[in-house]
Amino acid sequence: MARVTAAGLAGRLGFSYDEVEDLRLAIDELCFGLTGPTGRHGTVELRYLMDEGSLVVEGLGHFLEDLAPIMLTEMSRVILSALVDEHDLASGPDGPLFRLIKRRHSNAALAGD
Amino acid sequence: MTERESLKETFAAYARTGDIVLRDQLVASHMGLAAYLARRFANRGQPLEDLTQVAALGLLKAVDRFDPGLQVEFSTYATTTIVGELKRYLRDKGWAVRAPRRMQELYLNLSQVVDGLGQELGRSPTIPELAAEVEASEEEVLEALEAGQAYRFASLDAPAPNGGDGEPVAESLGKEDEGLVRAEQRATLAPLLDQLTDRQREIVHLRFFRGLTQSEIAHSLGISQMQVSRLLARSVAQLRASAKDSGSQEDA
Repeated sequence: MARVTAAGLAGRLGFSYDEVEDLRLAIDELCFGLTGPTGRHGTVELRYLMDEGSLVVEGLGHFLEDLAPIMLTEMSRVILSALVDEHDLASGPDGPLFRLIKRRHSNAALAGD
Repeated sequence: MTERESLKETFAAYARTGDIVLRDQLVASHMGLAAYLARRFANRGQPLEDLTQVAALGLLKAVDRFDPGLQVEFSTYATTTIVGELKRYLRDKGWAVRAPRRMQELYLNLSQVVDGLGQELGRSPTIPELAAEVEASEEEVLEALEAGQAYRFASLDAPAPNGGDGEPVAESLGKEDEGLVRAEQRATLAPLLDQLTDRQREIVHLRFFRGLTQSEIAHSLGISQMQVSRLLARSVAQLRASAKDSGSQEDA
């Protein structure tokens, strides 16, 4: 659901297929980072913020159990750095949260205007 | 007697007698057509050998069902039957999780269109452009792309799509790369990457360490962008599973 919603919004912003695919992978990776390798009981609240040429996705975990410290693996960091412009995963006052920013770099939208 | 007349006579004799020897002759004389049609479908993620077998089965059905009294050439009739058999095979066998038929067909269509439109435009197409090209809504395109993650991955033994008689994709991949080795050593990620196939490592390296886009990787390796997309998704999932197995989350 998180992936499809992001892809739909990115499509509206004129992101290229390449960029949409990157976004889908990045959301997978950050959701995995949020829920951890063994998964967690609870819900994840997602917010999508659209700006001209960029999409921000924020995820806030509401989990039932106490959490081990949230952090990305080295591999996740490498992957996310290649996929999105900015990313962060941290423990916040209301729970663990992630944030990513994907900007449109292709000139597809301009070409389509 | 011309070859055409001879063929017609053989079909008439087979229809009359049901002689298996005649059927084998008819099948053997059209195997070239079956192999040709199988190659036409060789870039859709299934091994060519399997496709050739499916095409041969379609040919056998065509020989059995062909009515020599009809005013139609056997090759025309057989082509329709064989292509139908190949499409059914790709639709049914290519999916690890069954997606609605419309989505399966749309995904297979998109896998062709993404590359073709990309070449035509000189850049990666947008979702609205893809939707217009396949005459579907943007929502349907996104749904098909999501469903496509259930599509199985191309065999390493499948021939490269650019040229049916080219070397298998596996042969052209997995060559040692000093840059990759350095990157792996620096990040101590080699043990994780070692769990991937050569092709997966190559694609992971090009996308995440060298920063090539999916379409650039597809162009560079001579495979479709959809294949790159599926392989990347699969590789990342495997890397995650490795992290899960190890039960640890490293710090930098």
